[in-house]
Amino acid sequence: MFYFELLVAGLVQGAMYAMMALGLTLIYGLLRILHIAHAAVFTLGGYVGVLAANSGLPLAAAAALAVLAAAAAGPVVYGTVYRPLLDKPPYVALIASIGLLIAMEDGFRLLFGPYGLSFAENPWFVSGPDLGGIFLNWVQIALGLSALVAIAGLGLFAVGSRTGVAWRATVDDPEIAMSFGVSPERVRLLAFALASALAGLAGFLVGLLNNLIEPGMGNITSYKGLAIVVLGGLGNVPGTLWASLLLGVAESFGTIYLDRILDRDAIAFFILVVVLMWRPQGLARGR
Amino acid sequence: MATRRLVTGLLLGTATVLAGAWIPGAGAAESIRIGFHAPLTGFAAGDGKSARLGAELAVEQINAAGGVLGRPLELVTYDDQAKPDQAVPVANKLLGEGIRAAISGSYSGATRAAAAVFQQAKMPYLSAYAIHPDITRTGEYVFRTASMGEVQGRGGAKLIGEILGRKKVVLITLDNDFGQSLARGFKEKAGDFGIEILNEYTYSIKQRQFGAIVASVKRDAPEAIYASGYFFTAGPLVSQLRAGGVRATIVGQEGYDSQNFIDIAKAAAEGVLITTALDRDSDRPEVRTFIEAFEKKAGFPADMVAASTYAAVQVLAQAFERAGGTDGAAVREALAGTRDFPTAIGPITFNALGEIYKPIQVQVVKDGRFRRYAVIDDPVLLAPPAE
Repeated sequence: MFYFELLVAGLVQGAMYAMMALGLTLIYGLLRILHIAHAAVFTLGGYVGVLAANSGLPLAAAAALAVLAAAAAGPVVYGTVYRPLLDKPPYVALIASIGLLIAMEDGFRLLFGPYGLSFAENPWFVSGPDLGGIFLNWVQIALGLSALVAIAGLGLFAVGSRTGVAWRATVDDPEIAMSFGVSPERVRLLAFALASALAGLAGFLVGLLNNLIEPGMGNITSYKGLAIVVLGGLGNVPGTLWASLLLGVAESFGTIYLDRILDRDAIAFFILVVVLMWRPQGLARGR
Repeated sequence: MATRRLVTGLLLGTATVLAGAWIPGAGAAESIRIGFHAPLTGFAAGDGKSARLGAELAVEQINAAGGVLGRPLELVTYDDQAKPDQAVPVANKLLGEGIRAAISGSYSGATRAAAAVFQQAKMPYLSAYAIHPDITRTGEYVFRTASMGEVQGRGGAKLIGEILGRKKVVLITLDNDFGQSLARGFKEKAGDFGIEILNEYTYSIKQRQFGAIVASVKRDAPEAIYASGYFFTAGPLVSQLRAGGVRATIVGQEGYDSQNFIDIAKAAAEGVLITTALDRDSDRPEVRTFIEAFEKKAGFPADMVAASTYAAVQVLAQAFERAGGTDGAAVREALAGTRDFPTAIGPITFNALGEIYKPIQVQVVKDGRFRRYAVIDDPVLLAPPAE
């Protein structure tokens, strides 16, 4: 029972990581950019959501607003930060991304104060089904479901739809794709919008789970997202999912059994180092 | 030709301004500068803001009442982000700005680092709320207006084992200077009060998700939980414990002492007990004036951090008065000789190490606010080290 609860806690955490990492892996797959600043839209989703909810909107509406705000911010980030740097070496974009994350974190602190914001009413957190002694609240269930839906949706989209195929073409060969009438620019904007929407939703849900939206809440998740993306095989969607869940569960058990030896956040990077030494291409077969 | 005139004009102008700055203003009393460092940005910015407001309030009130020795106090504030590697350059910077004493409004890691710098410069230095034991051991110029971590931990053991009568306890410890010193003190005295420690779990300050710890606590089924943390970790921890079905009494410490904790945990915060320094139900005038004035200035209820920095400024001001001046050695003597000086966190008397004995205020969250629950006045149990 106890181990099962640890597993469930780990899977919920893994679902959160998956939603962040999916966006990261999408963007890497398309642009070969490690989008560290992804955490900024995660936090943005949290802030927009809590402000909307506290001004009287029902939680579902607040969630929708959070997702929309994040989805709008993503392409803006692409347009202002990445597009001008596309022809430069990749580390330039990486550094710009880190700089943006730091700037936005402090921007949130300046705008919304250092104490963090809390939801005035948090009905999804305080209620949930009693699954035979395991108390899962609706926020955790929403996180798990969102991650599953997102992954299934993206999987189908990439394989089944015309736009999805166009995406993959843009990665493999942008010029040929263009000659088929696919606009790489539109594909990229769409990718950023989608990835950011997922991150915004994750930020909102995590904010509900902690009942605390803080300026720095995205940091560790973003760096871990990076570790997950590398573990899962850069650009590999199913690999990213497995890596996320694996990490969530490893952290869950590690918190209890390894807490004297290794800080919980260090577990992610420790695993990353070990796995990469053994299999430099990551866990799953790369594309 | 025009350029030469412009340059000459600029040089003359600058020289005049500089000369003017050298001449002491006629009639204006020179202020006494007090160095102050706190985490104004970074993860601890919440406490940094409270600390700054508490110190500023004290300075405003003292200056409005005529200042110290007829001179106004001036706070020279810098941000240390609660990081030791920031605190050291900040301390050095303050030393170069003509300060007569310094106060730490920051956490233990940063305070320990800065203490070494101030002690070496023989600059009187007060730690407002940082509780690691090594801070005062740095030297005779370092004082502390807070109860040390170990002392609070011992108080926590008495609260749980004797006052509440709970014997099976789980510890959830924040693994930094603060949490570890609290846990040490608790474990030291737990046996004396018949407490059996079922398990101890540690977590890092960045943690907000405690699913694994909640599952483990449920399995342990304790009667009480002694959990250290700050409001931004304790809030999520407590709400997740309650949401997970854990009904045991939760006892925290002054890290919880902020309205933010209650805002985050909401209904889950009801009934949580904390050992702290600020008694919201105190009828002492110096405490009441602080509580009321702070809420008016800040717009939110007072917390332990603000009360502590406020008290530190008060203690420093009376030391200047009693020393009759701002000479470092004289001020240090005056600080060491402080006896029963009334402050917002109780009467202050320093021992030979620069530590204080203070009864511990036990507060409980009732109807969304902190209220008095008990006072632990035990000079033997809560005696600070004298060396």
